[in-house]
Amino acid sequence: MSNLSQSSSAVGLDVGTSRIVAAYRQDKDIQCETQLNAFVNIPFSKLTQSVLKKERIPHLIADSEITVYGDECERFANLFHKETRRPMLRGVLNPDEAGGLALVRHIVQLLTGEEKGHGRKLCFSVPAAPLGADEEVKSHESALSAMLNELGYESRNISEGLAVVYGEMENSNYTGIGISCGGGLCNVCLAYLSVPVFSFSIPKGGDYIDDNVARLRGEPATRIRTIKEESFHFNGHFANKIHQALCTYYDDMIQALVASLKDSFASVQNMPKLNRPIPLVLAGGSVLAPGFRDRFEKVLRESELPVAISEVRLGSSPMHSTARGALVAALSEM
Amino acid sequence: MQMRGTGRLLEWRARRFSDPVERLQFLKSKLSGGAAPGFLANRPLKHVRMSFIALGLALATTTLLQPFAKRALGLAPPEIRSVARTAAPRMVANTSQQPATAPPVWLVETKQHFDLYSNGLRVENEFLTSNVPRKYLAFSSERPDSAAGEWRTNPAGIVFHTTESHMAPFEEDQNQSLKRDGEGLLQYVSRRKSYHFVIDRFGRVFRVVAESDSANHAGNSVWADQHFVYLNLNESFFGVAFEARSRQDADGEPVNAAQVHAARILTEMLRARYGIASSNCVAHAQVSVNPANRRAGYHTDWAANLPFTALGLTDNYSHPLPSVTLFGFEPDAGLADAGGAPLAAGIQASEDKIRDDAAAHGLPAERYRAALQKRYKDSIQALRAPFRRTIK
Repeated sequence: MSNLSQSSSAVGLDVGTSRIVAAYRQDKDIQCETQLNAFVNIPFSKLTQSVLKKERIPHLIADSEITVYGDECERFANLFHKETRRPMLRGVLNPDEAGGLALVRHIVQLLTGEEKGHGRKLCFSVPAAPLGADEEVKSHESALSAMLNELGYESRNISEGLAVVYGEMENSNYTGIGISCGGGLCNVCLAYLSVPVFSFSIPKGGDYIDDNVARLRGEPATRIRTIKEESFHFNGHFANKIHQALCTYYDDMIQALVASLKDSFASVQNMPKLNRPIPLVLAGGSVLAPGFRDRFEKVLRESELPVAISEVRLGSSPMHSTARGALVAALSEM
Repeated sequence: MQMRGTGRLLEWRARRFSDPVERLQFLKSKLSGGAAPGFLANRPLKHVRMSFIALGLALATTTLLQPFAKRALGLAPPEIRSVARTAAPRMVANTSQQPATAPPVWLVETKQHFDLYSNGLRVENEFLTSNVPRKYLAFSSERPDSAAGEWRTNPAGIVFHTTESHMAPFEEDQNQSLKRDGEGLLQYVSRRKSYHFVIDRFGRVFRVVAESDSANHAGNSVWADQHFVYLNLNESFFGVAFEARSRQDADGEPVNAAQVHAARILTEMLRARYGIASSNCVAHAQVSVNPANRRAGYHTDWAANLPFTALGLTDNYSHPLPSVTLFGFEPDAGLADAGGAPLAAGIQASEDKIRDDAAAHGLPAERYRAALQKRYKDSIQALRAPFRRTIK
């Protein structure tokens, strides 16, 4: 648990499907805190309750159940042989989890280390709307905004792709393509001198890969995620069929992303005249697989985008890029 | 969206903000037509286009009301207001306006002939000499025609030089020659108080002139950052010279790995201790001017190949030259010849800016340039005035 807001006048928040990241400024540096955006319900017992209290593990008690949330929930899910659950699904609040917003609120409080925001500026990320899902995103935005305002923050939102641009593209004067490949969605934004030209998202992310490989191989998604995070890499050699399937679905995600990017360039009106090649930055947990960047660049170069790309690189800290960008946006409002 | 000229100008100005938040604030404020910055995430592009138009109109309107434009229309003499420093210069404390972005470096120990720093830098003091204590007048960058100047004592940047001295082959059997040449060079530059630091061919760093003093390294020169315009950088910038020649025969590198490493940790130390921004670490060729023929690039050392990145710095070769954009110097043909593609981009950007600024002021480029050159003369006179008074 941090006391980040005590030393910072603004907070950047990446509210992702699988993680929530808070960024704040300490002196000249930007610090980030992360928690899993997940929870697990375990049966209530006085003994469990006292252990949780003693160990200072964040939890809630309701209806003869204990809800452990944040990073610790995975440990308890393993102990009690349960699957963790998510307050969010595909980038927005999960309609099947009635208490999702309340849990997000608790996780935000856990990250900021305080009950109230005391009027601090807070900028939180929201996904760009996937095709035909405008309403879902709007209601997600307004629910989060109301919750954060109620916590005492002066909140604003920023599209996730633009946050990547703000977090990683200072050197190109916030011109370039920011891509965040998260658990639920991949968010993309092209910005020119800090102004978004287009933003979009595709409903394919880490969960899409895990679920499809799990279904194909008859394994639990949690196990697939563990294998993906611990041993998968894009090098053309697959140790087993799970790796092979992971590669197939990663490829599918990359192809869909690049195809949508190409479509967006084709359909955008008033495209700025870019007088030099622009950078592309990849961020988010799904880009961490070794070899991902090379694979992405290969597909991108083959697709012949209408703009020249100077470099394809991973964010300086891909898991924190969105939160950093949200913080830069919040600070720039002060 | 037709905004190449404006965009380029904005980009150039934005680059002068080293803090990412300040840079974003600047861009947002410019792109929202001077209105209070708002979140742009969901802003339709047509609004952005309108902002650019509004920005252009605002610039044009503001410009037409300026004496400058009036002069262009024949309503006033054809010169821009000079930097007549009538207001009393304000002395500021020895603090930096720039954040120290380099990691902290501290002095570990001082021995009779050397200082050791926490990043491994060892500075030899065998040839150390003193000169006039540093004190210089810096002019406001935001208001180049403002009468207000600030007396400052804090170093604002670093100018990198090459000694252009005799180079024996860098080979094992040449040790004697290499040592002799290096020592001769150090004695020479120490007598002339030519640089603050010299990095010899073995990567040793020698302090030649005390850091608190000026050194005779830059002569007629110009640089600017987002806060100040600096003229004649002997007083305001450190001079760091590599024992090297900028131009090498065939495929030879101007400096070796040991020199680059030494320069990196020296730069790190200077930036950390004096809060020097990366954008104020420049090549001599970028700052040197010849007032006699009004050309920029009188000296061309490090016109190309200064290993900015290896020194932990942002490559700013492509930045427009302040001598051109603020004072109307014309890039010397020799500068373009000596420079590589990055500096050529900087020269081109400078020329583009002059053209854009002239258009914004409603003046032909040559007339605008002449007015800027007059500004330089006036600024130099203002710079010298206090010294004249002192002599009297």
